[in-house]
Amino acid sequence: MDRNTFVRVIIPVIVLLTVVISVLIFTGLASENPDGFEWALFDWAGITEPEGGFEGIFAFLGSGPLVDAVTGGIGIIVILILAYLFFKFTSRRTE
Amino acid sequence: MNPIKRYGVKKMHVPDGVLPLWVYILFLAISLPILGIAIRKVNKRFDDRLTPYMGVLAAVIFAAQFVNFPVPPSSGHLVGTTLLAVMLGPWAAMVIIALVLFVQALYGDGGLLAFGLNFFNMGVLGAILGWGIAFILFKGITKFLDEKASVLIAASVSAFITVVGAAFVLGLELLTIPGLGFEFVYIITGIHAVIALGEAVLTFVILLYFVKAKPKMIAFLKDSDTGRALNRDRTQEITPTLEEAR
Repeated sequence: MDRNTFVRVIIPVIVLLTVVISVLIFTGLASENPDGFEWALFDWAGITEPEGGFEGIFAFLGSGPLVDAVTGGIGIIVILILAYLFFKFTSRRTE
Repeated sequence: MNPIKRYGVKKMHVPDGVLPLWVYILFLAISLPILGIAIRKVNKRFDDRLTPYMGVLAAVIFAAQFVNFPVPPSSGHLVGTTLLAVMLGPWAAMVIIALVLFVQALYGDGGLLAFGLNFFNMGVLGAILGWGIAFILFKGITKFLDEKASVLIAASVSAFITVVGAAFVLGLELLTIPGLGFEFVYIITGIHAVIALGEAVLTFVILLYFVKAKPKMIAFLKDSDTGRALNRDRTQEITPTLEEAR
């Protein structure tokens, strides 16, 4: 990736997505209702959600708007780099 | 039982330990070879100058799935597979959804064992149904409207149908849980019919941005870079496909 693409495409996307997520979380616009899948499965059907297990790599940070905004921002950077590297190594080389 | 795990950010996908083990193994056995095929298709058809945009789209989908919108008494989030399929074709859409699901699993949303099932529902079904329905609609609508309007309508309608269809299949899969009756399939499909409206609106809005700002990234449109990549024969030489936006 050349510097031009990085500056004009990648950085603005990271900043924009992180800002949007942070605003949604901090202003309380992100829904706190249970997800469609979970509401239906765990509440309506009365099935006990499996306790324990892997809670995620950031579970030790606890919960809260600040933690979610920060971990969300980290996730955006991670997925962007991961997808870039993955496609870089799996796509055809330009001659 | 507290289904709300974190503020505004919840477990959204099927976790480990809910369905019988054989279901997880079955879907891993189905999904992983399909993912392998998708990676090979991407390898043959996409050149490395498109990779920054693959990263960008993966980040957009991850961010969009990170935050739920309210659908009282429930909530929903964008899946984005139809959006990706319309822009990049079904194979690249599958690969991006697989990457997003993998990172989400690291965040504790959807287990690694359940990866095959989640990938099948959102990645495989989403990409094939989403792309196929959108393609048929697009061909029909372009007889009456211009290409850009057609792709927006086709993708949005397809996104709606695809989410409802995938939810129906999810309901069928969940019937493997002892004690669940078929009425559960109606319930979960009904909930997702409302969520699918949100999917259609978000697909329209995000695609509208790309139609205005980066139409070359939409495979359905003439002269698009991704469209050329999709139609490229495996024996053809790589030629420059991505003109930098000026």
